[in-house]
Amino acid sequence: MKKKIKKYFKVWWLLSRNSFMSMLSNRLGSIFFLLGKLIRFFIYLVFIVILLKGTNSLAGYSLNQTVFFYLTFNLIDICSQFLFREVYRFRPQIVEGSFDLVLSKPINALFRSLLGGADVLDFFTIPPLIIAMIFVSRGLNPGFFSVILYMLLVINSLVISAAFHIFVLSLGIVTLEVDHTVLIYRDLANLGKFPIDIYREPLKGFLTFIIPIGTMMTFPAKALMNLVTVNTVLISFLIGGLFMFLSIKFWKFALTKYSSASS
Amino acid sequence: MKKYLQVLKITFQQEFAYRLNFIMWRVRNVMQIFLLFFLWTSVFSDPARQFFGYDRSKILTYVFGILVIKAIVFSSRTIELSRIISDGTLALYLLKPINFFKYWFTADVASKILNLSFSLVESVLLFLILKPELYFQSNPAYLLLFFISLIIAVLLFFAIVFLINMFSFWAPEVGWALPFLFIVIIGDFLSGSVFPLDIFSESAQNIFYSLPFPYLVFFPLQVYLGKISIPTVINGMFISFGWLIVLWFSMKYVWEKGMKKFSSEGI
Repeated sequence: MKKKIKKYFKVWWLLSRNSFMSMLSNRLGSIFFLLGKLIRFFIYLVFIVILLKGTNSLAGYSLNQTVFFYLTFNLIDICSQFLFREVYRFRPQIVEGSFDLVLSKPINALFRSLLGGADVLDFFTIPPLIIAMIFVSRGLNPGFFSVILYMLLVINSLVISAAFHIFVLSLGIVTLEVDHTVLIYRDLANLGKFPIDIYREPLKGFLTFIIPIGTMMTFPAKALMNLVTVNTVLISFLIGGLFMFLSIKFWKFALTKYSSASS
Repeated sequence: MKKYLQVLKITFQQEFAYRLNFIMWRVRNVMQIFLLFFLWTSVFSDPARQFFGYDRSKILTYVFGILVIKAIVFSSRTIELSRIISDGTLALYLLKPINFFKYWFTADVASKILNLSFSLVESVLLFLILKPELYFQSNPAYLLLFFISLIIAVLLFFAIVFLINMFSFWAPEVGWALPFLFIVIIGDFLSGSVFPLDIFSESAQNIFYSLPFPYLVFFPLQVYLGKISIPTVINGMFISFGWLIVLWFSMKYVWEKGMKKFSSEGI
């Protein structure tokens, strides 16, 4: 098992290095892309500050809390893009039939399609984001246990995000459509920019349990603020596990539908 | 005129050829409205509350207005220009007995008609589901100025997109990057498509108003909501018209320069 993990880590490292080299060959494009992301991040942050200075609270949360929800959303979103960027490059493999080459290699096809090529551009933005989160969270006075729970729930969010990406890959095999599906996932995830409490029922319940954006984006920050119950935490982990289980089932089903078109 | 009608028909057929793509694109637009709608509903949970000069009905009208105005102004086929310059297929268009600018503007019109039709249906459905209080402008002067501001917005967006996509003449390998930065990121925020620009301080607003972007979405919506006086509207129209003239001539100038730079192999 240890040997297998080492092998997969080595493959991931090689693929990520290739992805970085490819990025370096297109420096100007990468700079524009990164600049665009940073501008979007800061404009939204300014908007939240101005909005909360005018209204004092949003769905009962203070400025500090709302900013922390926004930073947590960004942490999960950026980590997902950093890890699962290969999903955005999946469609040509299916349409052109080059997915055959992935299937024929002695490496798990899901691993290659999901994690094959981390986005280093996104990685650069993670450390400053974590520093900003530590700075903002100091005003929330979290306890040691809350911080541990926060980290565990962020990991659970990444499991849910991985499951979403596996669903997108599987749908890509079945329907040949990936680009818009992954962007719809991004739009759904964007609903978690603000605490889920701003939504009315039944949408709030839908976003918590069916498409668990609330579980992904809001619950970790709530845990740090000591606003979750034991039941909420247990349900979050249950949803994470269930989503991952169903996504892998769907991936296995989708593979049986792959017809190797055009190859 | 007949040949441009054909372009219109062909563009319609192209849009319908990729139905799933089109439907997914519309679903994304609706989801973006969901976030804004519930965010502002939460802020204006007390119907009597007023913030940044908006009451509940005006801010929700702003949100619904974004859906419709974006369909009219931002729907565009001209965004493909960067790709056809980069891969050299521009040569095929240049050989055709058709005005290149009119060709893309006609294709844009087809895309706008289709997106507008869908956005109207979506607005009605969202209205029935969410039951928001909306503000309906009844002053004919404001309505007339609103339509004029929309026409200027459509022409402005065409000129901006055309101009920025021509960056590909000089850097074909990163032709997508500048449109991404200016249209997707900066244009989206500075046009007021994400939140109204009058939540910012007066000095920031003065800077925004001196740029062409607010005249794409924010300004037409301010006119519709009657939030600015008629003389201010006229002043805004002069500025936006000034930008239109500057961008239009820049577009023609850059096109001529780009033509001297353009080369296409193996097409």
